[in-house]
Amino acid sequence: MKLTIDQRWDLIDKIAKQTVTFGEYRHTLKDAIGELTIKPFTGIPIAIAVMYAFWSIFGSFAGFFTDGFFVRLFDAYWLPWLQEVFPGQGGWLYAIMVDAGGIEGGEFVLSDNCLESFGVLTSGLFVAIGVVLPAIVIFYLMLALLEDIGYMPRLAVLIDTMLHKIGLHGYAIVPTILSLGCNVPGVTATRILETKKQRFIMMTLLAIFIPCGAQIGIMQDVIPGLMGWILLYLIIGYFIFGYILNKIVPGKAPEFLIDVPPYRRPMLSNIGKKVWGRIAGFFKVAIPFVLLGAAIVGVLYQLGVIRFLGDALAPVFVGWFGVPKETAGPLIAAFLRKDLAVAQLSVIEMTEYQMITAVVLVSIYFPCVATFAMMLKEGWKELLGAMAVLTVVVFAYGGLIHLIGILLGVA
Amino acid sequence: MEKKLSEMEYEEEGTITDIEGTLRKMVAGMGIRVGKRLKMITKQPVKGPVVVVVDEANTSLGLDVAEKIIVEMKS
Amino acid sequence: MKVLLIGHPNVGKSVFFNRLTGANVTESNYPGTTVDFTKGYMNIGGEDAELIDVPGTFSLDPKDKAEEVAVAMLHENKDVRVICVIDASKIERGVYLALEILEEGYPMVIALNMWDAAVDKNIRIDINNLQRILGVPVVPTVAISGEGIKELISRLKEAKPVEIDDIIKNAGGLT
Repeated sequence: MKLTIDQRWDLIDKIAKQTVTFGEYRHTLKDAIGELTIKPFTGIPIAIAVMYAFWSIFGSFAGFFTDGFFVRLFDAYWLPWLQEVFPGQGGWLYAIMVDAGGIEGGEFVLSDNCLESFGVLTSGLFVAIGVVLPAIVIFYLMLALLEDIGYMPRLAVLIDTMLHKIGLHGYAIVPTILSLGCNVPGVTATRILETKKQRFIMMTLLAIFIPCGAQIGIMQDVIPGLMGWILLYLIIGYFIFGYILNKIVPGKAPEFLIDVPPYRRPMLSNIGKKVWGRIAGFFKVAIPFVLLGAAIVGVLYQLGVIRFLGDALAPVFVGWFGVPKETAGPLIAAFLRKDLAVAQLSVIEMTEYQMITAVVLVSIYFPCVATFAMMLKEGWKELLGAMAVLTVVVFAYGGLIHLIGILLGVA
Repeated sequence: MEKKLSEMEYEEEGTITDIEGTLRKMVAGMGIRVGKRLKMITKQPVKGPVVVVVDEANTSLGLDVAEKIIVEMKS
Repeated sequence: MKVLLIGHPNVGKSVFFNRLTGANVTESNYPGTTVDFTKGYMNIGGEDAELIDVPGTFSLDPKDKAEEVAVAMLHENKDVRVICVIDASKIERGVYLALEILEEGYPMVIALNMWDAAVDKNIRIDINNLQRILGVPVVPTVAISGEGIKELISRLKEAKPVEIDDIIKNAGGLT
């Protein structure tokens, strides 16, 4: 037999009266903190402080391991050793696997660091392990901590107003932040949004505007000074195009209704399990694609395809986006791995503003292939829709950034 | 005096007297129902969501949801 | 035997799951969705049982995709026992979910989890009386420390479907 909602509650009231007594409730410190972090007057400054702390810890931890350890390991030992023992220096296999080198004064010279060498076993491994691994570990560790103490729902409540303007609601902060680690689980997490419209807007915005932890990690390493501007352009784009999408995508944005659980002490074993699971999942995807990406770009360079594409697309690159035509290579690599693409961009000679534009382009241009596959799983119609939006965004926003540069007199 | 939940001020308390049809089912599982005491803890600025306490559990509701819940104010 | 672990989000369901199951845990997608659920095995009195951690839900009227999956998983597994995990200090809305599941005829045991927090808040629950009214085993637990888990497992075999009419009668009738 099934009860109606009112009958069910009536029955529960009867049961509770006979079995539960509520004693005097004392407000605890935990409750007080709970309220402080959700009331806007105190909660918003605290949220900003939490995000800032997150960011600084991320930067210093990742920097400490990458610069303090991996850069030396890879540049001082791994690269020279491979350059020495790998047979066929100057040949195409050597160029793809170890070091494409460069021509200086008509002579072939070897690279002296793992970013410029462009080899599968050098740049590829260095980016995956030396740069991305520390960034991802600290990112997921801190995220798991915030999740397990129960901070995320409060953040969702605080940011709900802003996200409402782009057709989403507060809980959209979860896929957004998760995507800052890797877009793949971010796409998965869009399931917590209720309507098709919301999931579409969220997925599209994620794929276009949210740089993943791997990309942030490499930016932190190779172009730390420009990262602020790049992120600013991405955040502004997220809101501008979110606002537009909300106006044109049919469907409704549902009501915001969430449970705000009390804070609790996180369990170490639970955090460990979660972090390990996410890192393992990430590396199953990342390592093969970084290596494959490095190999494909290497082959395309050797075959002269990249130069051809660069020349063919030069009017678009130089004229519309205002970046050097050499960025064609990294943009192809970006489809496989954005971190690799940024690493490759960082060694191309260009002005600072061109670098900002190029990295923003790498971010908003095609999602990496793993994200692409994940979106396809969600539905091919949504994927096609997202790709249409993406094409418009790349040209509109890329051109706009160039225009802003011209107006500011820096491009 | 009756008010919409969305019109309640911070720290005000009352008893729910009515919840609009379809919403009833949505909030039932979260313990929000007619006859229940509730207290408003926060109201986010610029038409943001409200946070209420029902049976020691905090629930956040968007303003458009809160409009569909009527509360008899504690005097 | 197949056992489903059902409860609200944030009631410590996954901690339960980790305590109950061994190493052989798989995480998979619910077919046709991207909602994940975990499955593992536990031992009940020498018998192997499959334990499934269902995504957290507040009721059987789903609000989002994850809740939809929770409901679908319950409905496609007719021959299961349910462990309904309830936050002891929010017992009323917990019993709401438990009643919904009992109404559909599933055999159930109830874990009143975070029992320690309820005690701290001066909430007293008459377990025996609650068991008598609902007609299913009710066990106070603290999943984080492991308290009550053994009893919960040992009483899983007492789980049986109950008639809602009996619960209403035991509670003294509806208004």
